[in-house]
Amino acid sequence: MIQSFPEPVVALEGSTPPTSAGGRFRRGSGGWAGYLFISPSLFGVIAFLVIPVILVIVVSFFHWNLLGHPTFAGLSNYTQMFAHYHAVTSLYVTAYYVVLTIPVLLCASVLLALFLNRPLPAMGFFRVIFVLPYMAAPVAMGIVWTWIFDPRLGAVNELLHQVGLSGPTWLSSRALAMPVIALVSIWSSVGYNTLFFLAGLQAIPHELYESGMLDGASRLQLLRKVTLPLLRPTVLFVSITNVIGSFQVFDTVYVMTQGGPGTSTQVINIQIYDVAFQDFQLGLGSAMAMVLFVIILVFTILQFLYFRKRITYELA
Amino acid sequence: MSSPNTTTASKRVPPDAGLVRGTRPVAIDPGEREARTRPPAARQKGRPVRLAGIMSLYGILAVGAFIVVFPYILILLTAAKPMNEIFSSSPWQLPQHPTFATFRQVWIQDDFGRILLNTVAVTVVITACQVACSTLAAYAFARLSFPGREALFWVYLATMMVPNAVTVVPLYLVMRELHLLNTYYALVLPYAFGTPYIIFLMRQFFRTIPRELHEAAKMDGCSEVRVLLQIILPLSRAIITTATIIVVVSSWNNFLWPLIAVNSQARELLTVGLAALQSNFGTQWDVLMAGSCLTLLPLVLFFAIFQRQIVRSIQMTGGLK
Repeated sequence: MIQSFPEPVVALEGSTPPTSAGGRFRRGSGGWAGYLFISPSLFGVIAFLVIPVILVIVVSFFHWNLLGHPTFAGLSNYTQMFAHYHAVTSLYVTAYYVVLTIPVLLCASVLLALFLNRPLPAMGFFRVIFVLPYMAAPVAMGIVWTWIFDPRLGAVNELLHQVGLSGPTWLSSRALAMPVIALVSIWSSVGYNTLFFLAGLQAIPHELYESGMLDGASRLQLLRKVTLPLLRPTVLFVSITNVIGSFQVFDTVYVMTQGGPGTSTQVINIQIYDVAFQDFQLGLGSAMAMVLFVIILVFTILQFLYFRKRITYELA
Repeated sequence: MSSPNTTTASKRVPPDAGLVRGTRPVAIDPGEREARTRPPAARQKGRPVRLAGIMSLYGILAVGAFIVVFPYILILLTAAKPMNEIFSSSPWQLPQHPTFATFRQVWIQDDFGRILLNTVAVTVVITACQVACSTLAAYAFARLSFPGREALFWVYLATMMVPNAVTVVPLYLVMRELHLLNTYYALVLPYAFGTPYIIFLMRQFFRTIPRELHEAAKMDGCSEVRVLLQIILPLSRAIITTATIIVVVSSWNNFLWPLIAVNSQARELLTVGLAALQSNFGTQWDVLMAGSCLTLLPLVLFFAIFQRQIVRSIQMTGGLK
């Protein structure tokens, strides 16, 4: 969902001066304490992140249905995945979801942030209201929106009926199911992302606006030449973290359509779940998880490279 | 800031400015400045336009607020209606014969009372353990020096990129091997020892606390544990609140792992119980809305109480890069 807490910007860490602390500390200061302090989390990281990643790579080369012994499968899980399991379809479907979600989400959040940044009364109130859906369990909200888009009794078709239109069947329609799911995702994360843009807007130095105005720039010009360019790092940060989150969408789709109708909302995560935990083909499921992993890795590396570049750019 | 390696983020608003003390300087709207600097005649001419602009701005925000809030209203309206009224009336109508019967049914027959307790217990345990373990690790990475510190930190950072869905299959295998499936341990253990993301976030904060405080306390003979407990923690309420909020929300709403790890109703969590309700009751909207309401309500209350801290915390996660 948010499941989308922003992935922190990993790249910046690369620039940490390696133990500048080392020199200033007496030698050995905090040595044993350091190991003691990190030991619980180190156990957690190894047991629940490092070992699982190694395991998922290994299992992806085996056939295993949990009953017998795993048998070595070579690359056949990977070839089978692309040949039989609509893996390509589910990649397209996920990409379609990302394309539907991200641009609207970005535009809406930037606009809202621009509105909320005005020094007017009640802006704090609106900011709080817009963040409310961020707390909502995607599972619960998925069910609620299924009710809202219910073709016969739902709130949306009821409103359409009032103005004399007969609404479509929404989630049982191949064409409309995915847009509805995208809408729900946008609904739940707009306010959350708006806060990042608000922080970005408030970090822009006022002097830039003042000097721009002295030069006779109009408000539209200020927006185009000052605000938006300086907001670009935030735009990139928000879009990459949201793309990474969107590739992992599961909860909303699980309760709203279970991947249907047909394969129209069969996103990668739904397919991994079906293959691994409904059909118990764990090798195949692991292979699919690896594909997802690679996709997400690509975006993380993009993020990494971008912020590397940004540092050098700003220092130049 | 003189170091050539300074991060960009620290050039922006320092994370504790405004965010922590709630004294964020209000950005002055460019339009307003413009109005102030303009000659009086021009200012007067601009006024009606500005007023219309402000009114339409509030109009847009009000519509937005309605779109955000109406699903919550529909939940309450639907859950309070008997099923025949749901069929016969518009979902927008107030219930004519409001009833709590559906809530009672979900609470008792569908065991949501117990499921709610499960969820509270699991969330509290995960949050307490995770925040404690993450604080220790973050402090060690920020302020203690020990051999291999940088290398270990890189391992933590690297695991942060691993998506949830990738670890779910192997985690299932590990828990199965340890005979921990269908236990509370399976629900709690993967999250109890601290997550790299929270550790990273807290470490960034600890690094903003002046090193001299730590050194002075050491001179006076404080142990590392006492330095952390008596000097660092009292200064870190903002980041601990942030971490707590993030962990509470993500473990309350977590779905995929509980769905896989537990299949006995006795140890179900709200999200999984709600999905089960959906597969049992299909389109019995009164039941589903009552279940959704019970799932959402605790966090809505949590939000109502901590709204200021929550808004601040989210901005903090964006600023502490």
